[in-house]
Amino acid sequence: MYPLLIKQFFRSKTVLLAFGILMVLGFLSIGTGKQFLNQKQEVIAKTEVLQEKHIKKQTNLHKDDLGLLMYYLKFSFINPVNSLAGISIGQSDLNSHIQNVTILNLEGQKYDTDLVNPMKLSVGNLDISFLIIFLFPLIIIALNFNVLSEEEENGTWKLITIQGKSTFKFLLQKIAIRLIFVAIILGLLFFLAKIILGIPFNKPFLQIIIISYLYILFWFSICFFIILFKKSSNTNAIVLLSTWLVLVVILPVLVNNYITNKYPVEEAFTMTIKQRDEYHKKWDTDKRETLDKFYAHYPQFSHYKLQEEGFSWLWYYAMQQMGDDESKQERDAMYSKIEKRESLSKKIAQFFPPLQVQLSMNAIANTSLTDQVAFLNATTKFHEELRLQFYPKIFDKKAANSIDWKQYKPVFYKSKTTFNLYDNILYMSCIILLLIGFGVLKNLKHFT
Amino acid sequence: MRKAVVILLAKQFFKKTFSNKGLLILLFIFLSVLTYVTVISWVAFEKKHQVVEHHQDESRKSWDNNPDKHPHRMAHFGSFVFRAQHPLSIFDSGIESYTGNAIFLEAHKQHTANFSEASLSTGLVRFGDLNITMLLQLILPLIIFFLGYASITSEKENGTLKIMHIQGAKVKEILLGKSLGLFLVSALFFIPAFISLWSIVFLEEKDAINSSVAIRCLLITTSYVLFYIILSFITVIVSGKSQNSNKALLSLLSVWLLFFIITPKMAQVVGNLMYANLSKIEFKAAIEDEISKQGDSHNPNDPYFNDLRDSILKANNVTNVKDLPINYSGFVMSKGEEQSAKIYNKQHNKLINTYRKQNSITEGLVLLNPYLAIKNLSMSFSGTDFDTYVNFLSQTEDYRYKQSQYMNDLQMKFISNKATSSEGKINVVDKSYWKSAPKFNYKYISIHKTIKNQLLAICTLIIWFLLSFLFINKFSNRFKII
Repeated sequence: MYPLLIKQFFRSKTVLLAFGILMVLGFLSIGTGKQFLNQKQEVIAKTEVLQEKHIKKQTNLHKDDLGLLMYYLKFSFINPVNSLAGISIGQSDLNSHIQNVTILNLEGQKYDTDLVNPMKLSVGNLDISFLIIFLFPLIIIALNFNVLSEEEENGTWKLITIQGKSTFKFLLQKIAIRLIFVAIILGLLFFLAKIILGIPFNKPFLQIIIISYLYILFWFSICFFIILFKKSSNTNAIVLLSTWLVLVVILPVLVNNYITNKYPVEEAFTMTIKQRDEYHKKWDTDKRETLDKFYAHYPQFSHYKLQEEGFSWLWYYAMQQMGDDESKQERDAMYSKIEKRESLSKKIAQFFPPLQVQLSMNAIANTSLTDQVAFLNATTKFHEELRLQFYPKIFDKKAANSIDWKQYKPVFYKSKTTFNLYDNILYMSCIILLLIGFGVLKNLKHFT
Repeated sequence: MRKAVVILLAKQFFKKTFSNKGLLILLFIFLSVLTYVTVISWVAFEKKHQVVEHHQDESRKSWDNNPDKHPHRMAHFGSFVFRAQHPLSIFDSGIESYTGNAIFLEAHKQHTANFSEASLSTGLVRFGDLNITMLLQLILPLIIFFLGYASITSEKENGTLKIMHIQGAKVKEILLGKSLGLFLVSALFFIPAFISLWSIVFLEEKDAINSSVAIRCLLITTSYVLFYIILSFITVIVSGKSQNSNKALLSLLSVWLLFFIITPKMAQVVGNLMYANLSKIEFKAAIEDEISKQGDSHNPNDPYFNDLRDSILKANNVTNVKDLPINYSGFVMSKGEEQSAKIYNKQHNKLINTYRKQNSITEGLVLLNPYLAIKNLSMSFSGTDFDTYVNFLSQTEDYRYKQSQYMNDLQMKFISNKATSSEGKINVVDKSYWKSAPKFNYKYISIHKTIKNQLLAICTLIIWFLLSFLFINKFSNRFKII
């Protein structure tokens, strides 16, 4: 039976069209991922060169005043993109992956966006995750919507029932061929992606593959569920397409809209104004007061005494520090809002596989908003370490050339993944089982 | 061609579509989502408006409340500019969520616009933005395809096409009638959307820009109507050309995927690949490089600024900068600002030009893809397109420059040449000067200019309309009846 069914399957133009579309778009999406990774890596390579050049130039210009040199000197902190980001670009094209900071007030520097064309951002990426979430279901629908109804409409179903074999098994065989076909194409795309994007075969990659296959299965089970109602091809097509439209197009947008409106992050504005004000106020207020706050933050520096008359770097950097210290409350408020956004999206996404797959893939590829926040927090730590290294040298009025500048190379951030596969596929698996189970139970009596 | 026949066929199509309960459910869902979207976008707009205004006021208040101080301290105190949104962004948010909303403006440093809505959103934002235009540009075309894919094929399959033909209806009339009917059904969907669009005009009256909002709405309405006529024609043509309903539906779906999803994305990917722009770090390095070539006002031994000093000493007939009638460091600062702003603008324009080149692939495809045309038109008339964003950036830079130079002028006029530092309560300028500095006031691009920018898109819609109409008229005799 199988060879005949396979022959029949491949004779249809829809199948060839589906195959063509998936392969062409697959190549395009892998290309998009490759381009993205290349651009990021090129910038990282350039950053290393530029930092060396920058340090050389600035140390030459301000040889004798370390305090002044540190006003200008920038240090790079890099978030190296994971090769899996080529599969799921997520939020990583929206946010800067390189921080370039001076030891001055950090909050004014941390959020500087990278230079990306907003038009490009607004149309979104055609990466593999998009292909899987958005287009694979359509192809699955196109392959399956008339599996049963076509036979009835052409009058061939009666012939099959007459033949005496299990019609249900026949239907399953037909669907199985389609499932295997789609699974092979997906596997092919992953294989190509692995080679072209240089992805190591490790646990995260495997997790992405598992989730993708489960998602494919989810759409097959929806199709299975719908076609068992034995409606006409047209009705099936409309019902399935409407399901697709709701699940993949409308619902994610609605959920995102709901979340952004529920938790507006206006604290971002409040924070930036506050950090500027708190620093600048100190120019006109009592120096002693500023220093006392600074000593309270860093007791280890309290032996550096304030010079009351004239300008001193100790006082200057203490002022800068206050911009950060005194806007902390607003900053925390902003981060807690972002956290709420993330946790609410995760909660809602559990029940809707397309959302779930997108968020999971981003989490695995370290391209989610949480990862960006983690990177920002690491930047704060990086910045703090720089401060602690240079503060005593500046306050001791050390010469700029007493420092070995060669060791100040760009620092790389190490991301951590806390993705739990089981938690993330639990509900999707249940939905699949329910759909198949209901489909079978409700219709078993119609089949022999 | 007889009008009565066309109208009769249109009526018949309309009635037949309505006998299907599915349509009523679809219409109900569409209208509920539309209502939700309108209300929520409106509320969000009002809220954002308040937030922006509140922060703009706060930031200005803290500017005004500065005590007497050295003007250079004020130049670095700087100001914040927040993007206030056009009321029509309720209708079409365009690229609004992807452009930064806050810029810090200070002397001799240019910052980027930060805190875009998308950068603070979870991964779900990549599915797209929810606004009225999403329903109008992506969903409604799909609905039109769904409603119309069988318009001719079902008549063929039922054998009724033959009967209609025998009774004297010409193919041209059938095609036009079906298109008209389909357009009328789609009107049930888009007219409510236009009601929400026009209510923005009447209810957001308080804004000064409003006089032009009505004209913008009129242009938007006309473009969309034209767009739906084109879509109705295309649907009926595809249905007429297809052998059966299944094929018609699949073809129309492919059209939707190709024109509405894949080409727009691919065009940007290709544009980005062909014309890569500098990353922020390279951009800043390029500026730093050029500034040090031109002369660095912060470097006391810079040859450029040494020449400048000699010439001003000569002009004033003195030998020491301390004897000059103006504050010398203020003068140097103002010259330095002039230099660095020029260099920055040059680099910035280069960057924007690269962006434009990246977008040029999409712009070029507008002629082939009416969806891109309507998308661009809708964004531009709603004041949420790329041009508006660039225009906003250049206005902020202009404001930043004037503000810095205002502070440099104050320094030249009022600060003594003997002053050595800018801290504390000596060498200060009266605080009344801060209050008299002008506020930032963004001006939207005029409609006239917007139309000029979008001429290609406007022409596209008209050309497509004429072509599809012509196609139905001229080539209908080739349609197979059986």
